[in-house]
Amino acid sequence: MTAILPVTQSRVATLPAVPVPGTPREVPRLRGSRPDLLVCGVLLALILLVQGWNITGFPNLSDDEGTYLAQAWAVQQGKGLAHYTYWYDHPPLGWIQIAAVTWLPSLFFPDAVSVAPMRCAMLLVSAVSVVLVYVLGRRLGLRRWAAGLGMALFGLSPLSVVLQREIFLDNIAVMWMLVAFCLAASPRCHLWHHFGAGLAAAVAVLSKETMLVILPALLVTMWQHSHRDTRKFAVTGAVTACGLVGLAYPLFALLNNELFPGPGHVSLIDGISYQMSRAGSGFLLSPGSGAHRVLQSWLYYDRVLPLCGLAAAVLLVATARRSRTGRALAGPALAAVILALVALRPSGYLPAMYVIQTLPFLALALAGVSASVVGALLRTRPDRVRRWRAARWGAVAALAAATAVLVVPSWYDGNRSALTTDANAPYRSAASWLRDAGNVADPARTRVLADDAIWLDLVHAGYRPGTGAIWFYKADLDPAVARTMPRGWQDVDYVVASPTVRRDAVTLPTVKAALEHSDAVAVFGTGDDRIEIRRISRGAAR
Amino acid sequence: MLTSLSVCVVSLALFWMAAFTLWWQMHAWRTPETLASIRFEQPSGTGALSFSLLVPARHEQTVLEHTVTRLLESTHGRYEILVIVGHDDPETAEVAEKVAAAAPYQVRVITDTHEKKNKPKALNTALPHCRGEVVGVFDAEDQVHPALLSHVDHAFRTTGADVVQGGVQLINFHSSWYSLRNCLEYFFWFRSRLHLHAEKGFIPLGGNTVFVRTDVLREADGWDPECLAEDCDLGVRLSSKGKRVVVAYDSEMVTREETPGTLLSLLKQRTRWNQGFLQVYRKKDWRQLPTFAQRMLARYTLMTPFFQAFSGLVIPVNIAVALFLDVPVGVAVVSFLPAVTALVTFVFEVVGLHDFGAQYGLRVRFVHYLKLIAGGPFYQCLLAGAALRAVWREQRGRSDWELTRHVGAHLTREDVTS
Repeated sequence: MTAILPVTQSRVATLPAVPVPGTPREVPRLRGSRPDLLVCGVLLALILLVQGWNITGFPNLSDDEGTYLAQAWAVQQGKGLAHYTYWYDHPPLGWIQIAAVTWLPSLFFPDAVSVAPMRCAMLLVSAVSVVLVYVLGRRLGLRRWAAGLGMALFGLSPLSVVLQREIFLDNIAVMWMLVAFCLAASPRCHLWHHFGAGLAAAVAVLSKETMLVILPALLVTMWQHSHRDTRKFAVTGAVTACGLVGLAYPLFALLNNELFPGPGHVSLIDGISYQMSRAGSGFLLSPGSGAHRVLQSWLYYDRVLPLCGLAAAVLLVATARRSRTGRALAGPALAAVILALVALRPSGYLPAMYVIQTLPFLALALAGVSASVVGALLRTRPDRVRRWRAARWGAVAALAAATAVLVVPSWYDGNRSALTTDANAPYRSAASWLRDAGNVADPARTRVLADDAIWLDLVHAGYRPGTGAIWFYKADLDPAVARTMPRGWQDVDYVVASPTVRRDAVTLPTVKAALEHSDAVAVFGTGDDRIEIRRISRGAAR
Repeated sequence: MLTSLSVCVVSLALFWMAAFTLWWQMHAWRTPETLASIRFEQPSGTGALSFSLLVPARHEQTVLEHTVTRLLESTHGRYEILVIVGHDDPETAEVAEKVAAAAPYQVRVITDTHEKKNKPKALNTALPHCRGEVVGVFDAEDQVHPALLSHVDHAFRTTGADVVQGGVQLINFHSSWYSLRNCLEYFFWFRSRLHLHAEKGFIPLGGNTVFVRTDVLREADGWDPECLAEDCDLGVRLSSKGKRVVVAYDSEMVTREETPGTLLSLLKQRTRWNQGFLQVYRKKDWRQLPTFAQRMLARYTLMTPFFQAFSGLVIPVNIAVALFLDVPVGVAVVSFLPAVTALVTFVFEVVGLHDFGAQYGLRVRFVHYLKLIAGGPFYQCLLAGAALRAVWREQRGRSDWELTRHVGAHLTREDVTS
């Protein structure tokens, strides 16, 4: 029998006093707490129901989703990191994870690896993320109802429902960042939890590089949740872990001889300089700019979470020194503020999925401020008699009711259309038209220009991946593909003219010519969202 | 394909070894509670136990007097000091007689008459003369804190332990590049790793500042006179019999020591320890440990020097193979895993050096950090060399005692002359 000396009392008493509104520092073990499991479980079921119902029908399949999934498919098939040459546009870890998650279903249903069915994989990511928001809220000291509120805001906002259904790298990166925050807020200030937080943060960054900007907020959280005596080891360990795993990416490029630019090959430096020099979409707040349109598209789905959440985050950051809630939630609030500032830079490219990364932090900030307001209304000094109890509770109830009146109708409308609209019927019809042997007799010898949303469907239908089913950008931008089309558009048989293809054809000469020299043989849907299958008219060329 | 496979297997094995070692090395800093628990408790009440402190000295006439004088400053009331000198070492004996004459009721001189001398034989010679309830061991060059005995007494009484191991710390990190690393090794070992061993119930004890109840020690027949790492052996034998060992480290209370004066003597010292560990491994006392996990920990700990040597040599080779031979990129990335773990260890060592400076109020300069990093690979070579040398000597049956010389570099000038 051997043992270490018993804990010296005085030292333990100096554990970091993490400011917590209304709850003691010791966070109960959530796994063993029945009320926590109940709240979390019920909310999770509701969120999964709302996010999962009609997941294939709404929103519209996007080209980006198709691209990531096609790249994941290429990883599964052992064809490298992408279905075309991988050119370091994004770090590949995101779709490597998609490949891993969809690997098992792909064994049983190989044809199911196309965008609509594989959205179900994102349900898994969503489920993990919403639970992590709850855990993080609790670890940062929120009461059960407030953590639940954060979880509900994050999982049920129509904006979340729409974006989290889609196969975006951001969703995966957010999940890992939440893992990192939860580990950083380790209640035991555990060295290896903080080390793990560094690892998870690196995975997040390697899933979507924009996560890089949130790392300072993570560091703040870690600093708050480490003890003076062990902090230097914990924080240095986490930074090292994050840095070393992050360096794996340039190392990978180096091992492939693709770190530095050079003739005849892609390179990491080229990829980064492309991303940095992407044409800006203007200032977020100036009407008419691309960025402003993106903002409008977010606010169309929900105003509460982006606007009120941001206001809450700013408030928390501003009061971080004075208020306990502000200090407790400083990390997530800072993350939201940093992301907002990045979005507000005057010129720069703002992708439509950018807002995904801010959603959990906005939700937590909003939940924190709500908890603080309710706390202020109900608080009495310990030495005073509880007065005005009914009035206080009445005020809370009135506030809750007013909020519900403002929020519930618009969320109900937003989520109802997410649960009922079938926006992807045209894609399905186009795919089945191209699969039909009566329309295309020999897919293996037919060449189709299409966007990535339908690309995998074409591959499953028998078109040769890459040179038979051609992702339309590559006809103009990838020399390896252009070489197989010496006569340009005349070497193509069909164009699947989706909104994306029509929009971007302006800058792609081959695709543009193919659209001009073709006739619609089938049209699905109406208006701007229609999908045309256009056959190239050889007669016109001769 | 075969190259890829072997690179993967070797890399993953090295990775796990390095990861486990790192995990254990960082034990003390896992949580604030762990860090708080490794210290001595404040002693309360008066001492109840009596101590016999053994100080074997061999050709250590320059430092012995200072050590004994400082031991006599102890705040504890009931202890005796037994200085053990060899019959063929008149200079040290003279110093010993001098200090014994100055404090006749507290210091006695025991003469070891063994033909071939070593530390365990000296300690065994003194064991029958011990009158105290607890036997403590110090080396002739140790700087012992006056309050140590009271703390150890308290630890014995409050925990019911059979053995208490106090911290030992090399201090002269500024002396040379290797002493820097040597100091840090002690820092991590006594401040962190040893506590994990105590918790797991398998512990190789240190060579000094170790206290054992006299009856327990006699029952175990004292130290193994043929073992080159008699301290490690004693710890393994006692913990295998289920004796309760308590470890405490307090930067104020540690016994301060010096690193070997030359690189060659460090090599010799390390060779002796490694060979000793190998002997302990081959004695198989650790097989009596009750659980499989304890036996695995014992196996791994006793073999550590050789794993260290192996990984020091293989990591560079492995990376070279991955870089210059044509292996798939994934395999190349896997081959970097051990190096990554080594890097993490490096970073923690840098932080450890900072903490070491903070704990002991020593000024660690930027150049020391540089030395620490630059010296890493060379130190690894030294460790590998010592491990190979140990195997070589053990194979040839050479197990004579190569003594480390001490010059008192950890003492300030006044300490030595006063």
